[in-house]
Amino acid sequence: MFKKLIDNSAAKSPWLFHINAGSCNGCDIELVALLTPRYDVERLGFKLAGTPRHADIVVVTGPVTAQSKDRVLRTIAQVPDPKVIVTLGSCPRSCNVFRGSYSVVGPLDKYVPIDVSIAGCTPKPEAIIDGLALATQILKEKRGAK
Amino acid sequence: MLPFIKEAVTGLFSKPSTEAYPFKPVDAPAGYRGRIVFHADQCISCGMCERVCAGGAISTRSEETEEGTLITRRFFLGSCTFCGHCAAFCVKHAIELSPDYHMVARTEEELVVEGTYLKKKPAKKAEAAACGNAVEGESSVKPREDGLPVNDPAKCVYCTLCAKKCPAGALTVDRKEKTWVLDEDKCVACGTCAGICPKKAIIM
Repeated sequence: MFKKLIDNSAAKSPWLFHINAGSCNGCDIELVALLTPRYDVERLGFKLAGTPRHADIVVVTGPVTAQSKDRVLRTIAQVPDPKVIVTLGSCPRSCNVFRGSYSVVGPLDKYVPIDVSIAGCTPKPEAIIDGLALATQILKEKRGAK
Repeated sequence: MLPFIKEAVTGLFSKPSTEAYPFKPVDAPAGYRGRIVFHADQCISCGMCERVCAGGAISTRSEETEEGTLITRRFFLGSCTFCGHCAAFCVKHAIELSPDYHMVARTEEELVVEGTYLKKKPAKKAEAAACGNAVEGESSVKPREDGLPVNDPAKCVYCTLCAKKCPAGALTVDRKEKTWVLDEDKCVACGTCAGICPKKAIIM
């Protein structure tokens, strides 16, 4: 009975899960800046989830280090389908300046398909809002297809 | 208690500190380094940008045609740190970092900035003239015995980087006339020009 209501509400409020795959912390700080009163993405329905099992959108930062690879993949696998994988910054997309390092096994698209990539080093918070808006749209498309 | 009530009342009537971003566009601050803009017509293919790029975001591919070489320079923004080194090292100011920060993409191709230009084959007469006035009395490109630099006109692209970096101001390079002239009295044989030359055209 309430299924339609719940679906409509869930479509407007996607929950984020943030994974740090060996990032320099720049992108992580910008993502946290989004939750501060200045940008306040919670007014748009986004919310940081505490566990991957509650999330709709996975935000990955960092070039995927050898230590973090297994954990990243295990965490992404725990996110229920349909999910959207967003890469924040240049690192998960291409490893950036860390490419060729002995401890880096990325980029992320070797292991999982990337739905949205936000370029920048680090991206401006406004650009991250744009990326999350696109991710919400993709999530809606995926739910419609399901 | 009272000061907090005052704070609460002023808070009620003041503007919210939250930016209304998706509904009201925001411009990047002055000097922000965003999406790369490449002016292909100004590029002289010295390759300096590719050498200084830390993220390995810049690549070049060339295609031989009848009129000359068709050179395409590719900037992959997904691998860029937006440090601005390429723009700073470009002698012809062909690379520019614009304040556009909306770099959100679904595919890799959307993050690529490309520019293609034609590098014309040199006319045979002009090439011969360039060889003649490269260095007085120097037609071959063997290193000189006195340790001063020699330019190889076949390799030189006349980017003027050597003249700019010369600490003694001993080099005069004219891009239009395609001349490379060394003032032997001023030259201190430091090797900076040979080190900076992107085409390794200067031999010490």
